[in-house]
Amino acid sequence: MNLEKLLYDAYGYTEFRPGQKQVIEQVLAGRDVLALLPTGMGKSLCYQLPGKVLPGAIVIVSPLLSLMQDQVAQLKKMGEKSVIAINSFMKPEDREKAWNTLGTYKFIFVAPEMLVQPYVLGKLNALGISLLVADEAHCISQWGFDFRPDYLRIAEVLPKLGNPQTLALTATATDKVTDEIKHYLKLSDPFIYSHPMDRENISYDIRKFENDHEKLEALMNLVAEYGGPGIIYAGTRRKSQELAERLLTLGIRAAFYHGGMEQQDRIFVQQQFANKELEWVCATNAFGMGVHIPDIRHVIHFQLPSSIEGYVQEVGRAGRDSLPSLATLLYAAGDERLVESLIMDDLPERHEIELIYERGEEAKHLIEQGMMRETAYRIISYWRERLPLQGTLNQIERLKIEKQRQAASVRGLVHSSGCIRQYISMSFDQKNPSIPPNCCSFHGIDHSLFKGNRRELKASQHGSWKERLKVLLPI
Amino acid sequence: MRFDEVVLAIMRAVDGQRTVSSPYHLIKGKKSGQTIQDIGYFGLHPYFAVLPKLDKQEYLASIDRLQTQGYLIPDDNSVKLHRSAFDLEIPSTPLNGWKYRSNENRFFARLSLVVQTMSNFMQGQKRFDPVVTDETVQMWAKAYLNRIDFRSPAVQEAFKNQLESSLALAKTTEAHKDILMERLSGYGVGGLTWDQLAMEHKLLPIDVKIAVVEAVHAWLDVLEEMKHPMLAGLLEGIVQTSALTESAKRTQNLAERGFSLKQIAELRQLKTSTIEDHFVEMAMNDPAFSFAPFMDEHLFESIKHISKELKSMRLRDIKERLPEASYFQIRLALAMRGGVT
Repeated sequence: MNLEKLLYDAYGYTEFRPGQKQVIEQVLAGRDVLALLPTGMGKSLCYQLPGKVLPGAIVIVSPLLSLMQDQVAQLKKMGEKSVIAINSFMKPEDREKAWNTLGTYKFIFVAPEMLVQPYVLGKLNALGISLLVADEAHCISQWGFDFRPDYLRIAEVLPKLGNPQTLALTATATDKVTDEIKHYLKLSDPFIYSHPMDRENISYDIRKFENDHEKLEALMNLVAEYGGPGIIYAGTRRKSQELAERLLTLGIRAAFYHGGMEQQDRIFVQQQFANKELEWVCATNAFGMGVHIPDIRHVIHFQLPSSIEGYVQEVGRAGRDSLPSLATLLYAAGDERLVESLIMDDLPERHEIELIYERGEEAKHLIEQGMMRETAYRIISYWRERLPLQGTLNQIERLKIEKQRQAASVRGLVHSSGCIRQYISMSFDQKNPSIPPNCCSFHGIDHSLFKGNRRELKASQHGSWKERLKVLLPI
Repeated sequence: MRFDEVVLAIMRAVDGQRTVSSPYHLIKGKKSGQTIQDIGYFGLHPYFAVLPKLDKQEYLASIDRLQTQGYLIPDDNSVKLHRSAFDLEIPSTPLNGWKYRSNENRFFARLSLVVQTMSNFMQGQKRFDPVVTDETVQMWAKAYLNRIDFRSPAVQEAFKNQLESSLALAKTTEAHKDILMERLSGYGVGGLTWDQLAMEHKLLPIDVKIAVVEAVHAWLDVLEEMKHPMLAGLLEGIVQTSALTESAKRTQNLAERGFSLKQIAELRQLKTSTIEDHFVEMAMNDPAFSFAPFMDEHLFESIKHISKELKSMRLRDIKERLPEASYFQIRLALAMRGGVT
């Protein structure tokens, strides 16, 4: 089969991006595949194109509602009409309709918690699945930075679906996580494609300061001297708001973005950024998904990331166009304390674990009363079905140790004196990368490359409503 | 109208007779019997469900401001306004919440997507990220656009001209229209967030939210009148033909077929109190509603009379004077047109 021709006929592209072709070939050959592709490398094409050839449905299990919606939107944007997403937030009548017309869809996105319901399984089984895709497969790892207990259930339902051919996709995985994915998804003799984590066009800069005041001043200088478009990751919602306000008073076009905003406003900020109406977005880590902008030139971390995996993902939003881009991490003495307390706050505490063991399902009400966190509830109720109390306590203890390891590796990123690129690759068990020009602050960066290219932004449209209407509908 | 003025306008009507949180439920559009009957008692139709997503914290912030300014006197039981609150001049408002029932949001979502699509196509861009992610709205907009043949330049021009001429007629300020238009997106132009609008217009975010609702209500009034075939299409299902909530409508159907209140409760497997709420709602909305099945003429007149005499809509006050009347009977009598004179 001529894959290039297929690609062109289906989507109008003339060539594959690195890794895509190898993965698709193996999928079409009928093999289980585990593909490690950095974000922005076109992971979804790895099942989209096989969908054009394989006879049955492609079922994609996706861990996050927002991610699912974004992928459906992207597929539709590429002209794919036969797409549907089924999740627990749908209105019952819409879901009913979806089930009844399921056979007419090629690409079916399902949330993992739905997949385990017998009714859903029955429907999917009747359909004939050609390929099961586990998106963001690293979520299956209990040690990973975003473990979803529901993901482990995929393994439990695979036999009930007749063990379909499986494609596991992820952007970040250490050897340990890769092994877990293989184990839990029961991938038999899989083809593993591992793209180097390293992005050569990104220069890593780390700057250290004595205190917060100096750090903030440094940020203000950075945005004054360096051009966008860029993202400033701020750590907390409040901080993202504060930073955006500061930038605005300097006359720099900026906006904040965080999960506490209503969805319409979040879409507006994304679009303004994509339209180049904004130079900087000050955001929490909620910003990223749904942002498909190839020419982000600068990602600044104003707070330490909570894991190397998260850091690589956030930094990886820069320079998708392969042009030189800068990643700057600003550190003030003591920053790691904040991060470590945030990380540990995420873990279920002993009293929460005991409460759930005592009360079971009823403990759910405690979430509403603010006595329990939803993430804690989810993780614990998963283990409750499988382990006695002591087992779960041990499990959480091990999780804690793992989190501490993650925190230590972020600390190492800031404090180890050496090549940052090498440090990152090492964290992912990848072999030493070659050192490109402008590699990192250890090897030296020619900052003139990034300075002073502040582009003229479009003039803002603050006229009367009639003038704006004319801009919207110029006729 | 600023948000605080909306709260004050409601409070002036219910002063001393309702709790401080009752305006919150009204603005959010809570469909409880109490909230719905209060709309009729106190003439609060404009404000029902104007901000269905209103956050409790935002409301409490407003209460805080009103107390700091001295208009509202802190009180645990009910709204207690200072005299100055009545001297304040509150601008008249195009808000018509009881009529539109938050459906203006659906209208605006459709409009946003239609304008964005047209804007992109006019400028040669056929692929773009939709500004509205709701699939129902997306499907609706797609069908609508095809129906009006939106690719035709003549249609595009007519559409734009109709938007402009109808919005020009809307009875609201130019500033409100500016804000409304800034919530629309197009090719290369993103809509503005509430915070961005607040900063630009030197208002609170909650004030710009109210401004948009006012402007859209005023605009909808015009669009309904004008009956432009193209724009009228956008109103499909937006303006309710019946003023009743869905559930009350079902109760009304059964009542019209001769079932009693008790029977309806059994049939629908709902509490009697819920069905009572429905009858109160019907009494409020239907000028031909008859109280005969529920009380005699004499009791009805007595309730009306006492309410007038006490200048009170408080059920408890009336019940004290008229122990033989049930709360339901009192609510029903008060809900009927001309409840207060």
